[in-house]
Amino acid sequence: MKPEFPRDRLSNVSSSVTGITDVAPKKATIREVIQAMPLRVKLASLWLLLVVFGAVYAKIDTAWFGGSLPLQNPNFQTNGFDRATGTFGTGEPIEGMSGAHWLGTDAIARDTFARLVHGGWVSLVVVVVSAACGVIIGGFLGSLVGFVRGRTETIIMATVDVILAFPALVLLLALVSIFEVRNLFVISTVIGVLSIPAYTRVARANSLAISSREFVTAARAIGTKPSKILFREVIPNVLPTLLAYAMVAAAFVVVVEGSLSFLGLSVQLPTPTWGNMINQARRDIKINVAQVVWPSLALSVTVLSLNQVGDYFQQRRAVKGSNL
Amino acid sequence: MEEQTLIKGTKMGVTAMRRKSLYRAVAFLAAAGLIAGACGGSDDSAPADTAEESSEEAPAEEPAVEAGDEAEGDVDTAIEEVEDTVSYGGSISVGLEAEATGLRPWEDTCSSPCYNMMAAVYDKLMEQDANGAYTPYLAESITPNEDFTVWTMTLRSGVTFHNGVDLTGQTIADMFPIQQAGAAGSSAISAANLSSVEATGDLEVTYTLSQGNSAFPASLSRAPIGMVFDPAAAAADSEGYSMAPIGTGPFVIDSRDLDNETTFVRNDNYWATDPDGNALPYLDSISFRPIPDEGTRLDALLSGTVNAMQTLRQGTIRDARAARDDDGADITLYEFQGNNVGGGMFNTAVPPFDDVRVRRALVLMNSQEQVIEALGGTGISLPGTQWFSPDSVWWSQAAADAWPKFDFEAGVETLTEYVNDPERSDGKAVGEPIDAELSCPPDPTLIAAMQVLEQAYTASGLVNVTMTNYDQQTHINNALGMDNGFIGSHQVHCWRWSDDSDPSVAINPALAPPTAEVAEAIGLPGVVSPLNFSNWFSPTAFQAAVAATKTDDFETRKGLYESIMLEFADQVPVYYSGHTATAIGTESNIVGLNSWHVPSGELGIGFPNAEGRWAEVFIAS
Repeated sequence: MKPEFPRDRLSNVSSSVTGITDVAPKKATIREVIQAMPLRVKLASLWLLLVVFGAVYAKIDTAWFGGSLPLQNPNFQTNGFDRATGTFGTGEPIEGMSGAHWLGTDAIARDTFARLVHGGWVSLVVVVVSAACGVIIGGFLGSLVGFVRGRTETIIMATVDVILAFPALVLLLALVSIFEVRNLFVISTVIGVLSIPAYTRVARANSLAISSREFVTAARAIGTKPSKILFREVIPNVLPTLLAYAMVAAAFVVVVEGSLSFLGLSVQLPTPTWGNMINQARRDIKINVAQVVWPSLALSVTVLSLNQVGDYFQQRRAVKGSNL
Repeated sequence: MEEQTLIKGTKMGVTAMRRKSLYRAVAFLAAAGLIAGACGGSDDSAPADTAEESSEEAPAEEPAVEAGDEAEGDVDTAIEEVEDTVSYGGSISVGLEAEATGLRPWEDTCSSPCYNMMAAVYDKLMEQDANGAYTPYLAESITPNEDFTVWTMTLRSGVTFHNGVDLTGQTIADMFPIQQAGAAGSSAISAANLSSVEATGDLEVTYTLSQGNSAFPASLSRAPIGMVFDPAAAAADSEGYSMAPIGTGPFVIDSRDLDNETTFVRNDNYWATDPDGNALPYLDSISFRPIPDEGTRLDALLSGTVNAMQTLRQGTIRDARAARDDDGADITLYEFQGNNVGGGMFNTAVPPFDDVRVRRALVLMNSQEQVIEALGGTGISLPGTQWFSPDSVWWSQAAADAWPKFDFEAGVETLTEYVNDPERSDGKAVGEPIDAELSCPPDPTLIAAMQVLEQAYTASGLVNVTMTNYDQQTHINNALGMDNGFIGSHQVHCWRWSDDSDPSVAINPALAPPTAEVAEAIGLPGVVSPLNFSNWFSPTAFQAAVAATKTDDFETRKGLYESIMLEFADQVPVYYSGHTATAIGTESNIVGLNSWHVPSGELGIGFPNAEGRWAEVFIAS
């Protein structure tokens, strides 16, 4: 029969052996984190905040205010469809920038700025869902197999390797094409599920390293339950790395969703996405190149920003990790 | 006069026909046609109209026909004699919208880009002249018997294939079994009711049909059974024939690099001459390059990467016009707008589209003007009201007047009547909006047009619209419905209708019984047309379509087709956007696309559906 240690003593021993409590640096405030950022990361973060704000604002406008907030309807032609006269609006298609239409209008006279703002919502949801799936499911699986090893690791990592062996976009196209109606839930879920293997790999690599650290060894030595070690020692230390990775992975997800949209395989029309805006505007590129440029720019800057911010936090995490 | 016999002499009233056999006769007429025509350019379907050496069909010689004048707003490039002095030599390259699936007329389904290539290497037995009438080309004459079941054709003498083999009547007879075994050929044979081909002289061929078909010469003007190939070489190496085709045409294959470039060089032994007796062709060589992206293809022309290009998109024509008119690009546009009309269909076998009120309401909400603008066709494409363009001899003013025009309030009113009907066919509760899946291939142009419809439907508050885009093959398969008895899984489905062949080619298969159940119900078991994509069946319309293939009297036929178009306007199984505008753009010193001739010396049809004939094209100095 194993000797029983009081819970409070176990906790004290663990801390005193690892010494983490004693050497852990003071947690930086948000202000300090921002101040420490290089200018390019600050600008990238600002852009991402703008995209998130715009997307959420557009969604609230549609869902709660029936489109009455100051933002044009992204799905109807300029001035809408007038039932009283039975005619369409008088807006000009493929219009240039103006006071009425800051970024011009598309092929059927819809406000490009409104569509751009609304288009961010799809990207935002897909990124959040894929990150959640990746961090929660992939993070757990990776941490688990990196910690327990053995047959569990063999089976799970073999499965992960098989999935990763397929070209991601091809696999995604195959999965997406199964669904006849492709709404935001379907698209984000499919992308989210396909994100899991990559997160699993990252989590496993970190879990392997952390599992061999002194504080884990010590916890094992004093008889701490493996599940407790996993959840209290391993996963909390894997998580920051995963979150930093999620920023970089988000950039990839945005590109993937844009590709699907461009191919007409993402959310159904008339819901605007940056990808389907590019696809629809390319026909008129000779008349007004700006209609292709705006969504392309939004997509590019967002991806660049996510990479900048993700890289920055990954570097910070690497420095922190080496101090452990 | 032979001509009079052909046009006036046959008196086969509908009542005199054996109804059942007539139905069978055309149930599969031009079966290959509509699929290719649905979403692409023209196709391999067989046109019709009887013909003798010169143009002898009504379109050419019946001035009393009111239709056929150039419509207001239509800007087809004129077919006219060239004024430049012809010159020999030089090479040109042509940008095509797609690679040809193959260059075997009997096997490979051919659309517009493919026809450009095939026309270089093969000759057809029949051609259309500038008036659209069918006239002998490689044939010298063709004559039917009284009931159009036997056609006797005489070939030109002195014609040889590129490999030196002489063209004889036996050649045509030997082609037949190969055509029967070919994918494209077998469909065309079935559509034309062709049962045997026999060489009845050195240069004489007798075609025997299982049922009379006054439109048979039209079948000889398209690739599957109209283009002449060397049967011995084809039988020896069918696969290789696609890469190294042998015909009697103006050019000989030189090299074929799939998806990159296919080059043909001058056939020094070509049999045809221009009206002045000059040997053809004028060019030393011609090469074809598939450039799928519309913008890239136009840029290739403007930058001189290619010397000519084709397009079937209004938006590209608009851009090419702008480059020519605004940017001073030195190009010539050979524009054509024919019977092919864009739009779509309702699956009338599926509620709520089985109710004419729903179909009519959705058509009333269709602003063709807005749709054409979204297609980039404003000022280019004319709104469609029937399967014939205003400059077609088959055009009907009555059908145009009868077609429901955009009237949003009337549409709402009509749909409200259905929605509030306790007996509504979709089983929903009174007052609930109908569900409609609106589907088009994922082309930006079509997507834009689709969203215009969606706006109006949604604005009515009576339609829950779902929009889907599938690749073209899936789009066609959804309408074809091979897995559910040819009913299909479509609802409101983008499609293209009609072409510039004989009307029977497109109309007959579209009106035949769509399913085995319908065929059984009308006492014609087994007579099923999978190409009746809308699943709309009208005994009167079908009977009119059948009757039109049993006479070559133009006025009678026109009356029958008009009655069909009027029934379309009443029952609205289909809807329209605008007529399909096509163009071939060339550098301005490339001349002759609109001035080639048929052997009789008359001008040929020109460049319908961006299909060029390149034998009389030359580079002007």
